[in-house]
Amino acid sequence: MTAPAEIVLDRRDGSVVARLSGEVDMSNASYVRDQLLASVPNEVLTLVLDISGTRYLDSAAIEVLFEVSRRLARRRQELRLVMPPDSPLRRVIELTEVHTAAPVFESLEDALS
Amino acid sequence: MRDRASQQAALAGLGRQALSGVDFGTLLQKAAAVAARELEAEHVAVLERTHDGAGMLARAGFGLPDGVLGGVLPVEPGRLARDLGAASSIAAELGSRFGVIEAHSREPDHFTAEDAEFLEGVAGVLGAAGERAGHEDLVRDSEAQFRELADTTPALMWMTDAEGDVTFVNQGWLRFTGGVAGHEIGGTFAASAHPDDRDELLRRWTEASERREEFRCEYRLRHGESGGYRWVLELGTPRFSGGDFVGYVGTATDIHERRTMEEALRASETIWRELADTAPAMMWTTGTDGAITFVNQGWLRFTGTTFQEEMGQSWALGVHPEDAEPMLASWEEALKERREWEGEYRLKHNTGEYRWIHDRGVPRIVGDRFVGYVGAAIDIHERKTMEGRLLEVYEREHRIAETLQRSLLPERLPPIEGVALAARYLPGARGAAIGGDWYDVLERPDGRVALVVGDVAGHGLRAAASMGQLRNAFRAYGMVEASPAEVVARINRLVMSGVEQVMATVLYLVLDRESGEVAWSAAGHPPPLVIAPDGARFLEGGRSVPIGAADPAVFREATAILPPGSSLLLYTDGLVERRDRPLEERLNELAEAAGEAGDELGELCEHVIAKVLGEGDPSDDVALLAVRPLPVADTEISLTLPAEPGSLAQLRRRLARFLHATGATELEQYEITLTICEAAGNAIEHAYGPGDASYDVDVRFEGGELTAVVRDKGSWRDKRGEHRGRGLAIIEDLMDDVAVERAEGGTLVRMRRRVGENRAA
Repeated sequence: MTAPAEIVLDRRDGSVVARLSGEVDMSNASYVRDQLLASVPNEVLTLVLDISGTRYLDSAAIEVLFEVSRRLARRRQELRLVMPPDSPLRRVIELTEVHTAAPVFESLEDALS
Repeated sequence: MRDRASQQAALAGLGRQALSGVDFGTLLQKAAAVAARELEAEHVAVLERTHDGAGMLARAGFGLPDGVLGGVLPVEPGRLARDLGAASSIAAELGSRFGVIEAHSREPDHFTAEDAEFLEGVAGVLGAAGERAGHEDLVRDSEAQFRELADTTPALMWMTDAEGDVTFVNQGWLRFTGGVAGHEIGGTFAASAHPDDRDELLRRWTEASERREEFRCEYRLRHGESGGYRWVLELGTPRFSGGDFVGYVGTATDIHERRTMEEALRASETIWRELADTAPAMMWTTGTDGAITFVNQGWLRFTGTTFQEEMGQSWALGVHPEDAEPMLASWEEALKERREWEGEYRLKHNTGEYRWIHDRGVPRIVGDRFVGYVGAAIDIHERKTMEGRLLEVYEREHRIAETLQRSLLPERLPPIEGVALAARYLPGARGAAIGGDWYDVLERPDGRVALVVGDVAGHGLRAAASMGQLRNAFRAYGMVEASPAEVVARINRLVMSGVEQVMATVLYLVLDRESGEVAWSAAGHPPPLVIAPDGARFLEGGRSVPIGAADPAVFREATAILPPGSSLLLYTDGLVERRDRPLEERLNELAEAAGEAGDELGELCEHVIAKVLGEGDPSDDVALLAVRPLPVADTEISLTLPAEPGSLAQLRRRLARFLHATGATELEQYEITLTICEAAGNAIEHAYGPGDASYDVDVRFEGGELTAVVRDKGSWRDKRGEHRGRGLAIIEDLMDDVAVERAEGGTLVRMRRRVGENRAA
């Protein structure tokens, strides 16, 4: 049994918006990574990953965020995260310094502006 | 009712035999047989008084049990009838002292006054013959006696001398012809016959009398009363006296009715047969015994046989061996009761193959007489085989639909942490088509469990296929949409945009295992049932139109909290809908049945089915889905899990419920879960390999403090990849206290954290 996770993709103002819901752990981290990398065509500058609806991220998932950010940077593309200030994930994101690799915004609108 | 004319003819015949000088013993036997037949009697006995007059010798008889004949009975009227257990009897004296002839029947009141008269007549003949046997020389006397006797019967009788001149005609004759005795006597044979029949009558008479043989002729005899002629059957028997031929004694019986009826029948039959031969149908007639007497050209064209081959019983040879026995049995039964008969069977066609025909026969009654059957058959082969093929197609579709239905339903419900589940699907009764009922369960990304029960309108393959599509649509939208009303609305839009018209009622419900909170949307579907410890009740609200009914449509949702220890029952309307009962009443029965069932969900389903549906197959198909959040221990959990990544989600599930019960905040729940899972992730990575490797997790909550121990059977290596380092950092940062013990048998991580108050940073 892998953890349940769902990615819904959207195009907004020249960006790809990926809403990640569910749980990401070592059982499905590589799947999430592949989905995210495949979702970004060349002409798009930004992948906005909305984790407002994400219930669980473990260290394997954090690693995926770093890796996606790295891979996009090589293509001159940027990974942005959307996470509300009261998210339970906030502490882990800060603790692992994900924000150094991908800027974190409090709302989707902020991330797209 | 016995036939008086027949009795008279029999009596006349007996008289003829008596006069023809037949042996007296033989005559007695014949008389007994004739009397039994004409009286429809079980037995007839001729008892002769013994010489001393003290007993009765059973001299002759008919139908008597062995041992009666030749025996001597006491002189006691009715003695024999009583001995033989007869219910009714009649008797007549033979001559003055000779004896008695008696007839018995098992039925009470069997004999009529006319029967008695007939038996008197027989007794008279026998008495006269007996006396004549005793005094052979007194032939003339006996003749005189015969005449006397003859005159008392209504039959027509006559006598001739050796030359063939008529010497006597009885009163019956004269009454019939309206003639005068003098005119009928002498060389007048055939004088009263119809001119057209006279030649034939004389020719036969001459032939018979020349050879001293029995004489027999049917001809028309003048009938005085009507002024016309009537058909009679005339029989004559040569008489001998001491070996010399002395003439004939004869009778004539009125057969006019029978004869004219037969002629009319023959005439109508000829016309009918001509008609029948031109008809395209297959037609036939039988005699009274059921044997075929006619088949028309249509029949012969079908069978390719000849008219002769089809006569009698041989036509049945053409019936298919598998059909012959039941078909002949029903025919014979109908024939016995002279009822109408109808049957479908395969008959050999002229091409050699068997073809189905529908055959029907009705009894023919002419006057009031049954004369046989007339029947007609038509070739129904195409229809019959089409019916068979249709049935085959129908059954195949039913099978496919059922297979499809079952293949689309989850074979076994997936094990979902923290809930007990049970489901049942009952296809509709055989003959009724498979419907489109389904149920499904899925675990949503937000940790809630989505349950769906639906019923696609319609039956058969299409409904089953639509059900499959809808089920998948619910799986897809159920994963991404949190709100039940929104899931249903999206699927409605999907369905309405499709080419095929699909309509379905659905109950979609999302359950939060930890809190017992449920949210649901009932699209034209009966409400879910909550079976709480204090009773069963329906969850009202959240109702809207069925899916596929309208676009745009408003779909509502409602929420409720399940009391601890409750179960939920979702079902399709096949369980509760019945034409003869209001739905309200059925729902009450359902609630009552569910309330009395035990905690085990499989039993709950079975009990509800048995109570609400009763015996036998349901007319519509039925889907049932039962779910119950399992109770949570709030002080301690202890788990052994397989050392593979897939176990982490299960571990989180168990932890989530445990932590919820401890009253930890959402943030605390997430962080504690994360640290324990990080430790578990290490254990998984350090396991010796696939197979039966496992790790243990023990979590305790005591005095506001949580202790977690994760133990594996491998050995920790530090810094295996950057994220592992992050993992450890996470553990150390989020826990108050972490200890790692490495030993021979494996590695143990012990972690502590206070819950519910500000912990030390």
